[in-house]
Amino acid sequence: MEHKIVDHLFRHQYGKMIAVLTNIFGLSHLEVIEDAVQDTFVKATLQWRSERPENPEAWLMKAAKNRAIDLLRKIKAEKNRFEKVTTGSAGIQLNELFLEHEIADNQLRMIFVACHPELSLEEQIAFALKTVSGFSMKEIAAALLLKEETIKKRLIRARKKIREQQIQFSFPAAPAVQSRLSGVLRVIYLIFNEGFHSTKKEQLVDQELCGEALRLCKLLLTREAFRSGSSYALFALLCFHSARLESKTNADKEIVDLEHQDRSRWYFPLVVLGNDAMNRAMEYPDLSTYHYEASIAAEHLKARSFADTNWPAILNLYEQLHTFHPSDSNLLNMAIVQLRMDQARAARALLDAIDVQQLEQRAYLFHGCYADYHLSQGDRERAIASLRKAIELTNNALEEKYLIRKLERL
Amino acid sequence: MRTSIYENQKRSQLKNKDMKDFMMIFIGANYEELGLSPQQLQDRMGKWWAWGNKMEEQGILKGGNALLAQGKRVSGLKRVVSDGPFVESKELVGGYYIVSANSFEEVIEIAQDFPDYDLDGTVEIREVMKFDR
Repeated sequence: MEHKIVDHLFRHQYGKMIAVLTNIFGLSHLEVIEDAVQDTFVKATLQWRSERPENPEAWLMKAAKNRAIDLLRKIKAEKNRFEKVTTGSAGIQLNELFLEHEIADNQLRMIFVACHPELSLEEQIAFALKTVSGFSMKEIAAALLLKEETIKKRLIRARKKIREQQIQFSFPAAPAVQSRLSGVLRVIYLIFNEGFHSTKKEQLVDQELCGEALRLCKLLLTREAFRSGSSYALFALLCFHSARLESKTNADKEIVDLEHQDRSRWYFPLVVLGNDAMNRAMEYPDLSTYHYEASIAAEHLKARSFADTNWPAILNLYEQLHTFHPSDSNLLNMAIVQLRMDQARAARALLDAIDVQQLEQRAYLFHGCYADYHLSQGDRERAIASLRKAIELTNNALEEKYLIRKLERL
Repeated sequence: MRTSIYENQKRSQLKNKDMKDFMMIFIGANYEELGLSPQQLQDRMGKWWAWGNKMEEQGILKGGNALLAQGKRVSGLKRVVSDGPFVESKELVGGYYIVSANSFEEVIEIAQDFPDYDLDGTVEIREVMKFDR
């Protein structure tokens, strides 16, 4: 008998069950609901020890449903509200709420709640990871390199705002869909970046963040209303980056830069999926930074070797992106590309135009790029000084190790 | 699952008539209180399954269950009923398995794979007394 259950079943089920129960009880009971779902998992873990269900997913949903009915009685006993759900054919209605399509709808509603503009961006991310994606506070803290207490506070603030602003468990009204959707896409993008760029020693969580961002984006795309050029382009971007995820580190968990990555380890099916999404994106009129970023990622994937990289095409895309949405981060990327193209003078001009403060955590890349510039000018001493500055500024261990190795080779 | 336990039971009885039953009692590591994440719970369960499978394959597992923390006590001549919890969670019995083995040493060996030592869990091993029929 095969006893294995699907990877991450519990975590994925968590989000589903929360969403379904929230649809029944309303967002004001979110805390009770989260406790109830947590109870269900503990129960499952104990009960399945001796008797494993044929269909774990169905078992969990049924347990959650029973728990919902328990809660319903309890709440009804406490306060005499909720007549809408408790009277008449509540049982039948309840069954309908557990259909696959309904579950997905509820999860999408929860995503829009998580990314509600009343919540700050950092509250949105914490809330989404907890309530939609089923990570614990501890796991979120580890993924974002923050204290568990910080995450806890953000979640409390988010729940408070949801209560006080009476945020509804519903899809945004038609006129607001596009702006609300772009808020959701941004959170998905940031969750992915947390996983993709933050390379701490414990990488398990990172990959899960990337996977989670892909899953949420895919869920959005299942509904006509949320399909747009931006959402398809973001999905394409996530696919392209994810295709390289495995090759980003070697067996010793050290960073491998683009130049030295084993391109045979790039995961081709994701590239195909990304290409399809990119073609779909082009069928819509809207344009986003994701379009450009995806095109740049695709350009890198197209090159058979690092030497084959079409740098002029990539530079051109960065320039277009910069026109569309100017940022110091674009300037930095353009400078990096120009150094590859032996345009040191132009690169230097770009670097000097950058306000390093604006780069925030990416400031170390600025100094890393400056080191490359000095090297291209044969100025070993200044290159070393810039690398030292980069090492000083990076706050992630793997990146630091990478830079130190680079320094040692100089 | 259930049927396979009973089959194993029969098989193990055939294997060696002199084998004794032992109860492994799991103490502490209360999942209800540890606040484990869904992923951690699933990982734990995977370990319990692997352990259970191993014992089943060896034909030594005769049964077992997990116990929920909530409980009642009836005590004294007046049958006074009281509500739990009665002990601290690190002393709480969370479940048991009954296995057939020849000696305590064998059961200690089996108990090496208990998944929750890292959560401060303990396994207590007691021999089940057989009554003459």
